Amino acid sequence: MVPLDNYLVLSAIIFSIGVYGVLARRSAVLILMSVELMLNAVSLNFVAFAAYLDPNRVAGAIFAIFVITVAAAEVGLALAIVIRLFRNRATANVDEAASLKW
Amino acid sequence: MTTEVLWWFFAVLIVGASLGVVAARSVIHSAIFLIGSLAGVGAMYVFLTVDFLALVQFLIYGGAVTVLILLALMLTRADVTGLPEKVNGPQAPFAVLVGAGLMAILIGVAVGTTWPGNVGDKALNIPIELISQKLFLDYGPPFVIASVLLLVALVGAIILARQEEGE
Repeated sequence: MVPLDNYLVLSAIIFSIGVYGVLARRSAVLILMSVELMLNAVSLNFVAFAAYLDPNRVAGAIFAIFVITVAAAEVGLALAIVIRLFRNRATANVDEAASLKW
Repeated sequence: MTTEVLWWFFAVLIVGASLGVVAARSVIHSAIFLIGSLAGVGAMYVFLTVDFLALVQFLIYGGAVTVLILLALMLTRADVTGLPEKVNGPQAPFAVLVGAGLMAILIGVAVGTTWPGNVGDKALNIPIELISQKLFLDYGPPFVIASVLLLVALVGAIILARQEEGE
């Protein structure tokens, strides 16, 4: 069997890649995709801990289900905001939507 | 033995596809790499014996979320000129530093910690009946709140994306 540490390291790698994507990308949709990567890394961590360490075995999986639910709601709302931004400013790049920036 | 070989295959697939998401020049390529990465995580759930979660992952992430993202990409294509757009901001080198530093810290902590319990040898089986019992009985109130959240998000998304009169 694969030890727990493998899952943790894999999850850390995915999460860091997601952090890089959030910080480096310009398009709001690409930033959202990187956020999805980070959420996935977190869910994987929850489930790995539940499968290896939790005697009740199931709390981590429940957490992952709620993460997926909230992520689905978040994607719907965020994409609506992106479409609204694109309609108003003709761009989906976050660094061009800088009206509040001095 | 076969399990471990398959595990490493999927781990490499996930990391490669995730790198593709953040490194691809074209947004459509990023979205397709994202499908690969999410499906790989679904395979990881199979290895962790949470079949139900793998199913949910494939359906909701691999299907619904990526289709939604592709739809938004189609609706927000600004590069009608055909010129390749700059996809990364000027802060990208610093983002590499932050990402690499965070990765080093997280891996160091994850490997360096001694976890209590039956660590290291074997993943416990998580049966689907147990998940349903817990979800609908013990975690009933959060379940209801999550339903309300989904409804609110649905209504909010419709109102935000609606074409208003006079626009």
